[in-house]
Amino acid sequence: MKGEPFVFLRRTPIRPFVPFPDARAALAILIAAGAGCAATACGAGARPPIAARGFVDDFGDTIAYGPAQRIVSLNPVTTELLFAAGLGSRVVGRTHWDHYPPAADAVPDLGDGIGPNVELVVGARPDLVLLYAGGSNQRAAASLRAAGVRTLAVRTDHIADLARVAAAFAAVTGDSATVRAADTALATVDSVRHLPRPARPLTVVWHMGEPPLYVAGSGSFMGELIEVAGGTNVFADVAAPSPQVSVEEVSRRDPDVILAGPETARRLPQSAAWRTVRAVREGHLAVYDTVLVGRPGVRIGEAALDVRRLLFPHAARPQ
Amino acid sequence: MKASHTAFLVVALALAASAALLVGPVPLAVPDVMAAIVGAGDTETVAIVRTIRLPRVVLGALVGAGLSMSGVALQATMRNPLAEPYLLGVSGGAAVGAVAATASGVLHPFAVELAAFAGAGAAVALVILVARASHAPASSPALVMAGVVVGAFANAAILVVLAGAPAGAVRDALWWMMGSLNGATWTMNAWLAAIVAGGAVALWTLAREIDVLSLGGDAAAALGVEVDRATRRAFVVAALVAAATVAAAGLVGFVGLVVPALVRALGARGTRPTLRAAAVAGAALVVAADIAARTARAPAELPLGAVTALIGVPFFLARLRHTA
Repeated sequence: MKGEPFVFLRRTPIRPFVPFPDARAALAILIAAGAGCAATACGAGARPPIAARGFVDDFGDTIAYGPAQRIVSLNPVTTELLFAAGLGSRVVGRTHWDHYPPAADAVPDLGDGIGPNVELVVGARPDLVLLYAGGSNQRAAASLRAAGVRTLAVRTDHIADLARVAAAFAAVTGDSATVRAADTALATVDSVRHLPRPARPLTVVWHMGEPPLYVAGSGSFMGELIEVAGGTNVFADVAAPSPQVSVEEVSRRDPDVILAGPETARRLPQSAAWRTVRAVREGHLAVYDTVLVGRPGVRIGEAALDVRRLLFPHAARPQ
Repeated sequence: MKASHTAFLVVALALAASAALLVGPVPLAVPDVMAAIVGAGDTETVAIVRTIRLPRVVLGALVGAGLSMSGVALQATMRNPLAEPYLLGVSGGAAVGAVAATASGVLHPFAVELAAFAGAGAAVALVILVARASHAPASSPALVMAGVVVGAFANAAILVVLAGAPAGAVRDALWWMMGSLNGATWTMNAWLAAIVAGGAVALWTLAREIDVLSLGGDAAAALGVEVDRATRRAFVVAALVAAATVAAAGLVGFVGLVVPALVRALGARGTRPTLRAAAVAGAALVVAADIAARTARAPAELPLGAVTALIGVPFFLARLRHTA
């Protein structure tokens, strides 16, 4: 992963001489560490967090090891991952936005995944809650923990985070099926990454939404998808995941292609402001599948293939 | 204020608190909830009642009481029925702190709360400095003016921070600014309770000075009150109480403005009776509003600040009509 160190966690002491409490979990961690690194170019320093009392998550909280039979997944990425790993029958709650795979629709909808309804989550009687580790979820995590519910919070902003969250789940529950599911997806990403690059860089803007106009910067998996597919993100110099920019700035950076959602692609050619952008005037708008590329989940491999096909419609496909 | 009105407010608070414990997205039977309060029953019910619903009710009551007492003190001191904690730079300063913490992505458990309180404290200090520098003879209008100006500056700062923030942080910040009791914890409640109780004691002690100040600056000076110093004291206490509520629950609008007016319409006169009645009425209003906020559109929640206004305004208008 270009420029993205495989950092597992912050502030986590690795204590090699502490006897590990659960041999099964230890094994899972070893499997997870190996598998996670195979599919992504994670650095030599990547180690799963090992602490005597439990697994340390992205909020710096410690989660006790143990199997999970009733899981509430409050992140579409983890919902997809659990179903892909064949653990869908253990999912007893999901967010309002989790509709993939279609079987996920049968799982009770517990509302938002960011700022979740804590009471509904506890009411689902889970033995593990998977949460997105964003700032506003920290209170929810504290409440859930106070209510005695094991809560694992992991950020899922980058492609490599899929391997991280899969490994975290495996480490906590001792079940490494998630790691294999993530591996499959990330192997596809790697195969797309190794396709022939264009002789001349193809410059791309990923239009995320408007107004205000948000584009993909280098801090998001969407920016990473452009690079994986062989394109060059003209906003890669902006570290934020989704910087807010002006149409004039897009025009100045003069991308060869604009990746846009279906609605946007219909609207841009009609806009006088957007017609100042060469790619719009020349009709170089590539329409991405909003559902497929919306999250760095188990379909990230398909998403990478899709973006590759959009950017290089006539190029060879991976074998 | 008539005893019947006081009794009405106390009963309203008791009813709101009971309803808030009984009603929620997970249906629980009344006897189960009552057993769970004392820790009996199955684990999930006890967890829902004691770690989710009860802290939330207590937080709502503390926020309502704090904002209302703060409003009473400010309106009396400034002799301005439009004075309220959020008008005096407190909300703006707190919001700058909270938004900056959200946008920076710091993941300390109390980062947003601490940043909001620090921001509010900075804004209050700035308001006092600006008001003092103006050398105005009577300090109240100068404080109001300084508060409005600092608030406007804070709003501009928020917009600048948000313009460069990722979409997710903008959403988080917006939710914070709409106010919510979601995720209340006993740790936070203990802190807020200490500050609100301390503020209540301080305002109770300052009540005689505030009474005299409400007669007007000249009359107060003639009665031997150091107007500037007394005004500043009441202002600082009121602002810090409001800042603590904002840090704990975001911006819950309307309470500090209208609850004092409401209890005056019910006949409360004098700072101490008004403080007492406003604390109870404010607590009842916020606890009741939160029931609506978390059940009206479950599983999603409505912004608490909007619900307090939706519930409070008709009640207030009806009361006004009745008095007129």
